[in-house]
Amino acid sequence: MIRKALFLFVAVCMAFAVQSVSADTVKIGLMGPMTGPWASEGQEMKQVLDLLAEDVNENGGLIGKKVEIIAQDDAGDPRQASLAANRLSTMDIVAVVGTYGSSITEATQNIYDESQIIQVANGSTAIRLTEKGLKYFFRTCPRDDEQGRVGAQTIKDLGFKKVAILHDNTSYAKGLADEAKALLEKDNISIVFYEALTPGERDYNAILTKMKSSKPDGVFFTGYYPEAGLLLRQKSEMGWNVPFIGGDATNHPDLVKIAGKKSAEGFYFLTAPLPKDLDTPEAKKFVADFQKKYEAPPNSIYAVLSGDGFRVIVEAIKSTKSTDPDKLADFLHKKLTDFPGLTGKISFNDKGDRIGEVYRVYRVDGEGNFVLQP
Amino acid sequence: MEEFFQQLTNGLAVGGIYALIALGYTMVYGVLKLINFAHGDLFTIGAYLGLTLLTSMSLMDSLGVFFGLLLLVLMVMGLVGLIGVLLDQIAYKPLRQSPRLSAVVSALGASIVFQNAVMLIYGARFQVYPQDILPRIVINIFGMPVPLIRIMILMASIFMMGALYFFIQRTKVGTAIRAAAEDQGAARLMGIDVNRVIMLVFLIGPALGGAAGLMVGLYYGQINFTMGWIYGLKAFTAAILGGIGNIPGAMVGGILLGVIEALGAAYISIAWKDAIAFFVLILILIFRPTGLLGERVAEKI
Repeated sequence: MIRKALFLFVAVCMAFAVQSVSADTVKIGLMGPMTGPWASEGQEMKQVLDLLAEDVNENGGLIGKKVEIIAQDDAGDPRQASLAANRLSTMDIVAVVGTYGSSITEATQNIYDESQIIQVANGSTAIRLTEKGLKYFFRTCPRDDEQGRVGAQTIKDLGFKKVAILHDNTSYAKGLADEAKALLEKDNISIVFYEALTPGERDYNAILTKMKSSKPDGVFFTGYYPEAGLLLRQKSEMGWNVPFIGGDATNHPDLVKIAGKKSAEGFYFLTAPLPKDLDTPEAKKFVADFQKKYEAPPNSIYAVLSGDGFRVIVEAIKSTKSTDPDKLADFLHKKLTDFPGLTGKISFNDKGDRIGEVYRVYRVDGEGNFVLQP
Repeated sequence: MEEFFQQLTNGLAVGGIYALIALGYTMVYGVLKLINFAHGDLFTIGAYLGLTLLTSMSLMDSLGVFFGLLLLVLMVMGLVGLIGVLLDQIAYKPLRQSPRLSAVVSALGASIVFQNAVMLIYGARFQVYPQDILPRIVINIFGMPVPLIRIMILMASIFMMGALYFFIQRTKVGTAIRAAAEDQGAARLMGIDVNRVIMLVFLIGPALGGAAGLMVGLYYGQINFTMGWIYGLKAFTAAILGGIGNIPGAMVGGILLGVIEALGAAYISIAWKDAIAFFVLILILIFRPTGLLGERVAEKI
C-alpha cells in the first residue's frame, strides 16, 4: 500500500516536472498591492502589465512563445508579501516585477535571490535595497539619496531657513527624511521639528498644532499621499499657510481630491516625471493605448515604472534569447544602455540601480493641476 | 497654554468619534460577551453609504443644510443598523450555542468580508466627500480658532450618547436590554424575548457606528475601505479603558483616549502617541482590571 502511494506520489511529481519543462509561455510575475491601503497602485500596475503583455503577444510574442503575467497580491504588507514571493517562486517564473513599498520589497528580496529570479522593483526607493549586493535585484525607480538631494536643493532654492520634517516611519519615508535632514544640516538650515505620524489615521490636528508652535518656514513631508492630502486640508482649516513640500509618494491625483483644490494649491512635490509630461514616442503611445483600453489615463507614475520593469525584462529576454537568470542579470547590468523606457532612458549600474537624474519638482496650481517647475 | 487648549479640542473631537464607535462594541459585549470585530467595518460602511446617499440624492439642495443632514444621518443609521441585524442573523446567531471562540472567529471573517465587499463595490481608491456640504465656519473661543464642525461633531456624539443612556436607563425596552445583559437565562424566565433584545442591540450599536462613519466622512473628507481597522481598534481600546459592557464607560473611555493621544503627541512624542495611549490602558487595567468605571458585573453582587 505504502509502495503504491509512493509510486503515485512520484508519478504526480514527474507529471508536474514534465509540465513545467514543456511550458509554452514565458511567465513573468507581478507582485503588487492588489488589496490593502495601496490597492489602487497595485491594480494599476496590473493594468499596465496586462496592456504591455498583450502588446508583446500581438507582435509575435517573446522567443517564439507567449508572455503570461502571473499576478500575486502582497497587500502592501511584508508578511503577505513573503507568502506571495514564496508562491511566485514556485510558479516557474523568469522574472518578477514589483513591488511598490520599500519595506514590502525588502521582505521578498532574499526569497527571489535564492530562487534565482530576476526582480525589478518599481516603487521601492529605500537606499539599502541595492546595497546588499543581490545579483538579481533591479529597480526602475530612483533612490532616496537622489530624492533627498533634490529635496534639499528645492528647500534651499525656496529660501527656507527653518524647516520641519515629518515622516511616517516606513523604510521609505524615514530614509528620505534622514537623507534630507543630514543634507540640510550640512548647509546650516535648522531642523526645528523632526517626527513621525501614524499613517492611516484621519485626524492630524494634534501633529499640526505641535508643528505650528515650532514656527517653521516650510515643511517637508516624506510620507504618502493620503496623509499628505489630510495634512494640507487640516492645515488650511487651522488657518496656517506654511508651504509644504512632499516626496514622490505624494504624487497622486487623489492628493488634490482629498485636500481640496484650495488647500492643495501651492503644494510642491518631487517625483519622476508624470505620465502626461513624458515626451518620448514610447510614452505617448503607451499613454494613448492605456487611455483606449481602460478609458482613463494612467494615474500613478509607479504603475508606469512597473511597465518599464516589464519592458526591460522583455528586452533582456529578446536580446539574450534566453531565460537563464545569470545571462539576463548580466545583460541588464552591463549591456542595457539608454534603453528607451516609458519614463526616459534606462541603464542600470552594478548594484541594479537606475542611472541618471530622474526627479523633477512639481507644484499644484489653483485648479489642482500638477505643473512641472523649471 | 493656548497650545494646550488647542490640543484639548483636537483630542475631544477625535475622542467623540472613538466613543460613538466604542458604544457598539460595549453593547454587543454586554449582552452577548462577544467582541464584534466586524464593528469597525460597519463604521466604514456608514461612511460609504453616507457618501452615496449624499451625492446621489442631493438632500441639501432640496431640504436645506440642517434637515438634509438630519435625514442623511437617520438614513445612514437605519441602513447600517439593518446591516448589523443581518450580520447577527447570518454570522452570529447560528453560533449562539457554540463555544464563544467560534463566534469571535466568525466576527473576524465577517470583518474581512465587509472590508473586501466595500473595496469591490466602491473600488480601492480613496473616496472623497464633496467639500462644500458644511459651512466652514471658524469661531473664536477665548481667542482660539476652533472650526464649528468640530464642535458640532462633539455635540452630536454627546447628544447620541445621552439619548442612548436615557433609552437604556429610563425606558422599558432599555430595562430589558440591561436584564438580558445581566443574566440571559433569568431574563428569559421573566418573559423577556432575549432574541429580540439581541436584535435590537445589533440595530443600535451598528447604527451609532454608522453615524460615526458619516461624521468622519463629513469632517475629514477622505474615506477608504481600510479606515475601519484603526478606528475599530482604538474604539475597542476605549471600550476596555472605560470598562467593556458599560455604556457610560465607553463614552468616558473614548473621550479620554482621544485626549490622551492628543496630549501625548503634543508633549511627549508624536511617534509614541499610540504607545502612550496603550501604556495608560495597561496602567488602568493593572489598578482597575475591569476598566475605569468597571464592568456592570459589580451590580450583580
